Amino acid sequence: MISAKERLLKVLSKEKVDRPPVICTGGMMNAAIIDIMNLSGYTLPAAHTDAELMARLAEAIQEQTGFENLGIPFCMTVEAELLGSTVTYGSLSCEPKVVKELYSSVSEVQFTNNALTASSASRISTVAEAARLLSSRHPELPIIGNLTGPISLAASLVDPVMFLKELRKDRAGAHRVLDYVSDKLIEFASVLIKNGVTLISIGDPTATGEILGPKCFAEFAIPYLNKIIDGIHLQGVPVILHICGNLGSVWNLIPTIHSDAISTDALVNLKQLKDDFPQLTTMGNVSTYLLESGPAEKITATVERLLAEGIDIISPACGLSTSTMLPHIQLMTSIVREL
Amino acid sequence: MPTSKELIFTALADAVVEMDEVKVLAAAEQVVAQGININEGINKGLSEGMRRVGELYEQEEYFIPELLLCSDVMYVGIEELKKHMPVDSSEKKGKVIIGVIEGDTHDIGKNIVKIMLETSGYEIIDLGRDVPPQRFVDVAIQEEASMIALATLMTTTMGGMDAVVKLLTLANKRNEFKVMIGGGPVSKAYADKIGADGYASNAIEAVRLAGQLIEGLSA
Repeated sequence: MISAKERLLKVLSKEKVDRPPVICTGGMMNAAIIDIMNLSGYTLPAAHTDAELMARLAEAIQEQTGFENLGIPFCMTVEAELLGSTVTYGSLSCEPKVVKELYSSVSEVQFTNNALTASSASRISTVAEAARLLSSRHPELPIIGNLTGPISLAASLVDPVMFLKELRKDRAGAHRVLDYVSDKLIEFASVLIKNGVTLISIGDPTATGEILGPKCFAEFAIPYLNKIIDGIHLQGVPVILHICGNLGSVWNLIPTIHSDAISTDALVNLKQLKDDFPQLTTMGNVSTYLLESGPAEKITATVERLLAEGIDIISPACGLSTSTMLPHIQLMTSIVREL
Repeated sequence: MPTSKELIFTALADAVVEMDEVKVLAAAEQVVAQGININEGINKGLSEGMRRVGELYEQEEYFIPELLLCSDVMYVGIEELKKHMPVDSSEKKGKVIIGVIEGDTHDIGKNIVKIMLETSGYEIIDLGRDVPPQRFVDVAIQEEASMIALATLMTTTMGGMDAVVKLLTLANKRNEFKVMIGGGPVSKAYADKIGADGYASNAIEAVRLAGQLIEGLSA
């Protein structure tokens, strides 16, 4: 029997497998729903800052949902906090967020060369330690380390409205900040890889075609996404990229992204994406609204359609609501696993 | 031949579309120098520019960075013109309370809707991001607003929209305000389900919807 880890790695290197994996990356797209936290006793926000709790919660999610991976962390604020923005850790049902960006303009950003590894007090080390614990306990499962994408991280370091304006008003400044956060993200990925993660997943919710448009997406999102992906590939680890929103205006740019799989939102026609660009490994895209509200028959129909269309990896299309019903997720994973 | 007044209105509108601060200030100066009605300058010049920006956005020529910069130029123009208004006699179509539901700090979409509503002549009270449902209700009552506009980009916080409608009903105030929702995870079906008055999929549609709901304009 092929292990879940082998299956996912094979799919990401475009090898044939018995069936698609069904996964949930963690990070922005985590499945830390209230039901699982209450059942397991491993809860947020505590698990955001405690490595053992973070690992335990990742394990509880995997065991109870049937997703074929472990994923950490459970937020998109680790990097922004490290770079100096103010973060709150939220509550059981509410995810952490940036409350105040450190800078109001790209021109103010101070570039520091402090290695991430040196900041042992930061949550980078919490996530790294959780990765180490998980990889020693679960050699058969893929462990996904989650990164905030460069545009979203830059817009968590600099006021996001100003940052978006400066993509046009101060292009050189915006490029400098994106290059800087990309270097930091490669360093963060290295720390996670050294501690045993199997692959990296990048979520960049501010880098959408709908927000940036094709010109800014091509100039500011793709080069830095590729820089980070290339940097991770050099360390021998595959990368999944999740793109939020509709791909419409940036459709033709997608094949220029170097990631090993592209995950999309529910409104994207993944079959069309596969047909247009057969070289892509596609992932998704079960509506999280459907997973929250049902009905069960519709979840079944969606998963069966994605399987029939040959989507390579089955996954939720976006971040799961913390009030998602566990049986809905179990239904989704069981359909794929019983193939 | 267009009159010089029309040329000035066109210059104001062009300045907004072209994101040109210098040009908008020059055109605003002309409005004042020629004694043109300030409200007319705002409505036929600056707002017309933003209307064209909205069209470019719908045609996917402009995106969020362009919308933000155009609206900055619009506000520069308005500020300049308002210096020459004896009192703030700008005409308002109605008061709209806007904000992002508690738990969600993504406010780009909300800011765009706010800008488009404001430039269309509505008075906007912006509660910002991460707003508890009760606060929408309290401020709407206190401000005697016409409409509450709720945004979220996250599935996790959609429930807060439902909570606002329920709180209004509970306070016996449901019929006093129109409720409009928007944002990535929500839909017309969701608006119907929670009993909101309407759903808009983008900022331009939000302006149309506000027109229908507040002023009874047809679609």
